Amino acid sequence: MSHENATPDTQPWNDPKAVPFLQVKNVTKKFGTFTAVSDVSLDVYKGEIFCLLGGSGCGKSTLLRMLSGFEDVTSGQIIIDGQDQAGVAPYARQTNMMFQSYALFPHMTVEKNIAYGLKRDGLPRDEVAVRVSEMISLVQLDKFANRKPHQLSGGQQQRVALARSLVKKPKLLMLDEPLGALDKKLREETQFELMEIQENLGVTFVVVTHDQEEAMTLSSRIGVMTDGQIVQTGTPHEIYEYPANRFVADFIGSVNIFEGRIVEDEVDYVVVQSRETNTDIFVAHGVSGTVGQKVAIAVRPEKMTISKDPLPDMRNVIKGTIAEVAYMGNRSVYQVQLESGKRVRVAHPNRTRRGAHTLTWEDEVYVGWAGQAGVVVSQ
Amino acid sequence: MRGPSTFLKVMGLVGFIFLYAPIISLVVYSFNESKLVTVWGGFSTKWYVELFRDPQILEAAWVSLKIAFISATLAIIIGTVASFVLIRFKKFRSKALLSMMITAPLVMPEVIIGLSLLLLFVAMENLIGWPSGRGMLTIIIAHATFGSAYAAVVIQSRLVDMDLSIEEAALDLGAKPLRVFFDITLPIIAPALMSGWLLSFTLSLDDLVIASFVSGPGASTLPMVIFSKVRLGVSPDVNALATIIIGIVSLGIIVAALQMNRGKKNG
Ligand SMILES: Nc1ncnc2c1ncn2[C@@H]1O[C@H](COP(=O)(O)OP(=O)(O)O)[C@@H](O)[C@H]1O
Ligand SMILES: [Mg+2]
Repeated sequence: MSHENATPDTQPWNDPKAVPFLQVKNVTKKFGTFTAVSDVSLDVYKGEIFCLLGGSGCGKSTLLRMLSGFEDVTSGQIIIDGQDQAGVAPYARQTNMMFQSYALFPHMTVEKNIAYGLKRDGLPRDEVAVRVSEMISLVQLDKFANRKPHQLSGGQQQRVALARSLVKKPKLLMLDEPLGALDKKLREETQFELMEIQENLGVTFVVVTHDQEEAMTLSSRIGVMTDGQIVQTGTPHEIYEYPANRFVADFIGSVNIFEGRIVEDEVDYVVVQSRETNTDIFVAHGVSGTVGQKVAIAVRPEKMTISKDPLPDMRNVIKGTIAEVAYMGNRSVYQVQLESGKRVRVAHPNRTRRGAHTLTWEDEVYVGWAGQAGVVVSQ
Repeated sequence: MRGPSTFLKVMGLVGFIFLYAPIISLVVYSFNESKLVTVWGGFSTKWYVELFRDPQILEAAWVSLKIAFISATLAIIIGTVASFVLIRFKKFRSKALLSMMITAPLVMPEVIIGLSLLLLFVAMENLIGWPSGRGMLTIIIAHATFGSAYAAVVIQSRLVDMDLSIEEAALDLGAKPLRVFFDITLPIIAPALMSGWLLSFTLSLDDLVIASFVSGPGASTLPMVIFSKVRLGVSPDVNALATIIIGIVSLGIIVAALQMNRGKKNG
């Protein structure tokens, strides 16, 4: 389902004629009786930054390791650039990987680490030297070229690992939690650098991360994983605005969930009756459900409005009492206790310094949201 | 944090004296002028000079060094292969058994190792005619056997610590498995190989019991010669010889320890 104007150029996944660069077809990986990756299918197009997003232990690394050839697939097929990868050894694949642990060669200098892959390709000495020094400048490690990995900080090691995996200009670069060891500020800077490098070199990236903000910033598309399965694939916008199910809604950003039953089911709207609200909830999009079906409605905190006055122009309005206030600088987040006892989170931007309405604990308030704000998600 | 109590300090000191007093007295008396082992007659290095004039000692020292060198080298090769099988291969049924068998020589009484090897060599000679007779070759084999047990322990601890993804990274960058072994794995475990080698070397140099069992005529190691000399009464030149051996062994142990430390820091 696409909610944007599909332009095949920048969104090859919406172009039926586009051929995916990487195709993962029904891939399953079992360790003994334990299924680490379960029937995953995935298409990644040339020039994408595709993020695999999921909690720890959901099988992200295992999937990457199968793409690199370090693990055999139990069943299914992996096709890279039209070539079936079954039986292709890791050293023969046109892919490179940046490891979660960086995996730098401890006995080699930064320069030698980066040069290693080029030397294996049998490139002439002077070409190796040129490409290595280009890459060292790109990741700004000129001063550290002759240091060994243990003489570098975590951030510098991460850059060496990135440079080493990029220097061969692989068709497909896989990055396993590439920015995990960096602090927040450095991580944000590096994210933008990564995107720039990706654009300049035209390499296709598959990035693994458990950090949803990182996935939102970096990626052209995200595959959300849990328990070895991909539960939703889409652009950051699609994933955030139209989560396919409750897990995705919960995992990406914060969300209020109302459980209820469909009481009115039309082509362009549904009405849901919920015990958690006193009024019925109106959702301005159709669903493929039936009257009486149990559903959940997800509403993002920043799509809700909070006010002491009734909100006549909102489609859904509920009364409640403020239970908690969290001041976050650019916005405040209110926890509002509804009459049913349920708590909802409402985010309100702080546009002026003192705050336009001075809401505080115990205030009686109205919480409202538009018909388009909520989405019906499956359980 | 409080330091150790006075009681512990005293006990520690007593322990150290107990361990090292005999060695120190041996070193001191090796520089004794007097022929009497228990009477101090002034400083002299004459026993060292005498030592180097004794062809039997020199011959035995040469035999011992050769045996130690070759057996330590064999021990490292066997120890490396065994360690890789134990650490890197997926679980196989007899893995625990193999692991136990590799390390058994560490705890097995030397008399038993010596005796069983002797019986093995005799049986093999009867069956296949090799090794014919006993001598340097049989000592080398025997020392390689128990040296590889020590080497395997040292190398395994290094392999366990090594991040497997370092090798995978090399594979990923286009190196074939054999290349990865020589470019990446070997340099990383080199300190362990070095210290394992030194350990086997000194153990071989040191061994009397096993060598006595499996040696034959014409192949007397240094410890065997010393032992036979001492039975005729302790002479000061044995002190001098022992001092030299202590020197070599301590040097070996120190270098081995330094190698291990260096390896830890790099990996
Ligand atoms: N070689 C292995 N043998 C057995 N289980 C494994 C192996 N590798 C990974 N697993 C299991 O597979 C699951 C997924 O692991 P992984 O892909 O590393 O997760 P993550 O999403 O955190 O990267 C985990 O439960 C892990 O314990
Ligand atoms: Mg992982």
